[in-house]
Amino acid sequence: MATATVPATQAAGASGSVVPARPPGRLWANILLVLRILAANPLTLVGFILVVLVSVAAVLIVAVPAVSLLILGHSVSILPYPALDAGVFPVGQSPSATHLFGTDAAGEDVFSNVMTALPTDLGIGFSVAGISLIIGSLLGLVAGFWDTPGTLSAAGSVAILRVTDIFLSFPTLVLALAITAAWGRGEIQSELAVIVTWWPFYVRLTRGEVLSIKVQPYVIAARAAGVPESKILFRHVVRNLLEPLAVYFSLDVGTVIVTYSTISYVGVGVPPSIPEWGNLMYSYQDSLLTQPWTVLSVTAAIFITVLAFSLLGDGLRDILDPRSRRIMATTAAASGQAERP
Amino acid sequence: MADALLRIEHLSVDYAVGAGTFHALKDVSLELLPGQVVGVVGETGCGKSTLGHSIPRLLPEPPAKVKSGKIIFEGTDLLKIPKWRMPGVRGTGIGMIFQEPINSLNPAYRVGDQIAESVRIRKMRERGLTPRVKPDVKGFDYSKRELPKASEVVTGPFIPPNVTQTLKTRGPPMTKEIHAEVLDFLRLVRINDPERIVNLFPHELSGGMRQRIMIAMALSGKPALLIADEPTSALDVTIQAQVLTLMKELMEEVRTSIMFISHDLGVIAEMADDVGVMYAGHMVEFGPVAEIFESPRHPYTKSLLRSIPNKYKDEGVLPSLSGSVPNLAKLPDGCSFNPRCPMARDVCRKNPEPPLAALPPGPMGEVHKSACFFPDEVPSMP
Repeated sequence: MATATVPATQAAGASGSVVPARPPGRLWANILLVLRILAANPLTLVGFILVVLVSVAAVLIVAVPAVSLLILGHSVSILPYPALDAGVFPVGQSPSATHLFGTDAAGEDVFSNVMTALPTDLGIGFSVAGISLIIGSLLGLVAGFWDTPGTLSAAGSVAILRVTDIFLSFPTLVLALAITAAWGRGEIQSELAVIVTWWPFYVRLTRGEVLSIKVQPYVIAARAAGVPESKILFRHVVRNLLEPLAVYFSLDVGTVIVTYSTISYVGVGVPPSIPEWGNLMYSYQDSLLTQPWTVLSVTAAIFITVLAFSLLGDGLRDILDPRSRRIMATTAAASGQAERP
Repeated sequence: MADALLRIEHLSVDYAVGAGTFHALKDVSLELLPGQVVGVVGETGCGKSTLGHSIPRLLPEPPAKVKSGKIIFEGTDLLKIPKWRMPGVRGTGIGMIFQEPINSLNPAYRVGDQIAESVRIRKMRERGLTPRVKPDVKGFDYSKRELPKASEVVTGPFIPPNVTQTLKTRGPPMTKEIHAEVLDFLRLVRINDPERIVNLFPHELSGGMRQRIMIAMALSGKPALLIADEPTSALDVTIQAQVLTLMKELMEEVRTSIMFISHDLGVIAEMADDVGVMYAGHMVEFGPVAEIFESPRHPYTKSLLRSIPNKYKDEGVLPSLSGSVPNLAKLPDGCSFNPRCPMARDVCRKNPEPPLAALPPGPMGEVHKSACFFPDEVPSMP
């Protein structure tokens, strides 16, 4: 940071202007810093690259056929073969150059099947974790910030927390399975079922963070400076909440994918017609011994995606926390960055 | 006598904690005239900080609870106005400097942005865009300060020429003018390269620098009353000296009223005009700083003063006051100082707590108050 601001400072000092412009390269310097932190932490870099690759692939798989249909009049897929197209290829071929992950018992290309499921699973991961994040953090914010005993809002906070406790007292997977079973099979229903079991964790996390942030000396100092409560909430409390929430969210996307796949695998998730990793796993389980590459391919896809988000989440903390940023940046710049003048 | 800027009358504050009720403040009265510096001194746990925090109503409620009393600031009883209006008093009316400069700045923002927040609040209030509790409250004004003599011109360049700038525009303040003021206030607290400092995060600064930033932040609201709650306790000695020198210089320049809370009698002697000595939630002695230091009228003050090392005298072992501040949940019968008091006798143990009573005025008519049964028996300092 210091190196980036020095030229601007000198320029301002030389011209002697009262209002020096902010250093022009603040954004650029930040991007550089993030890249430097990533470079210093190879595992985070791996996670970051994997997340980018997986996300880009998911977008292309969905977008390319739709766009090409609009422009060219016929749909073009980036997948090597059409997915879920039974009986086209010889049955049970082991992985080769033509079929990267081999073919399955129905004569389908396993690679194409696995990749078709990628957008579905990634979308489910993001939407379930995202909606849970929004619901849970809002409730947690309310429950944490307005908890002065003896007020009406405190009663509301207590109510939120007790309801959260009730939801948390059920095992996540069992509750999700029960709800999906009750609501019937379908993508929306099963997603809602996971969200119902997912938001309480965010309430707990957010409330705990808010409770610790709101008694920090800097919040009291801001109050002493005449900052109104609404600004205290958003500028000082929420801003410091973003770090833990972002970290937890990125770790959580992977967890959601695992949970959701489990539900589908058990047979109450998305309908069998929709390609989804849990579904694929279910349909491939009979050929586990005869064609192990089928199951292994799906497993690897889940594993890599979840790992990518976990690695990213770990590194995100370093990138988002301004305190660790500088340390990371200085250790990263082994080239002997001069000490702050 | 001029109207008091701040008058605290019979203020009592309790903390209701699981183990019982702690009487953190009991019947504390205090008066602060405009432009005056009042020191509050006492041991750890005697209610100094509670007093400081209770004035802008920053005590955590619960557990804290103001039981009775009045805090009259500029003629308004702050305990009577609803809590949601208090932000209109803070910052521009009452500013505050805190003990821990390490945590008093938000780690997520650059220091420039944090001072800018305070400047923006003041500008919005000056322009009547956001309500303030007393619209006629004028903060300190640089134009009224005495001009430095030729021999003291050294401090000249530090004083921002355009901080006195009167408002010319209506409407919300622009980022540029706020930024300029932020730099001015950083220069005021003797930061030499404010253009660089504004872009740093708090963790990139040392403790002394952070406390300077905190002082700049408090001053940038141009408060009529500044409460400094042990501003130097968390710093090491050399930095303490720097910050104290800075504050002393600023007192001359900005001429705001200050309530200076400290456990360090030496610091108080440097800074304050009047001193209030606190013990176990009571104000036990109050008077002009010279009076208190030369002829204390309460044995507690006397013991505090005796434990300051004197560099001109080889005293051997410093006398110290044995024991510690009593548990505020169960104070001893009688005068709360009696278990530790060298002069304690039966009267002190049986009668209820003596009130803070005015002593006969001194030759200059100065007011000196003591809460001792036998104020005249306390020996003067050698």
